[in-house]
Amino acid sequence: MTNQLLLYKAVELFDGLTTDQIEALITISQQEVYHEDQTIFAQDDEGDRMYIIRSGQVEVSVQKNIHTPAETKIFLGQGQIFGEIALIDYGRRSATVKAMADKTVVDTIHRENFNKLCQSNTAIGFVVMRNLAIDLSYKLRHQNLRDAER
Amino acid sequence: MVYKVSYVVLGGGHPGAIINQFEEPEVGQHVRIGKKTFEIVEVNELMPARGDFAFLHATVRLLEAKRKKNL
Repeated sequence: MTNQLLLYKAVELFDGLTTDQIEALITISQQEVYHEDQTIFAQDDEGDRMYIIRSGQVEVSVQKNIHTPAETKIFLGQGQIFGEIALIDYGRRSATVKAMADKTVVDTIHRENFNKLCQSNTAIGFVVMRNLAIDLSYKLRHQNLRDAER
Repeated sequence: MVYKVSYVVLGGGHPGAIINQFEEPEVGQHVRIGKKTFEIVEVNELMPARGDFAFLHATVRLLEAKRKKNL
């Protein structure tokens, strides 16, 4: 089993997929490497892909307006996904994401390739979309717990 | 088992993190979030486990703050 397959089996987004289905996703993913403090994408950028963190951490920050500094919303580590909102709603990036460590490695899945794969294999589309919803609810739960701490 | 951990920092001044890890987090362990190190003070289940995934909530405190208190 390849390292990438092992990693993807530990990513909740792909939970419930068969090895063949995960391998189909691997064929449409591309690896990118970022150095410490490098911006992966900026708020209001156009977004056409989502990201899976293979190693390292990223900081997600939001700037409410040009007169206020950006506020860090969360740090995401190995196995987490980001950029999925733009993949779903075709909107611009809602946050800026920056690598926090040298050699932060992410895999990207382009929307167009993802949609094509889901159309040719609807089972993959159903499972991944269900897992995306679970991941978004987990992030909301994290935010609620953080708000309760304030 | 993969542990998906929501790290929430005491006091709420820090955004915390979500990290997948292969080892269950334990009280007293240190965790690096962004550019700071924290100590785990509590671990609870956040959602019931599903398949190979466990969903945990860990409360942490900044290690530097604890060190300063001890001085």
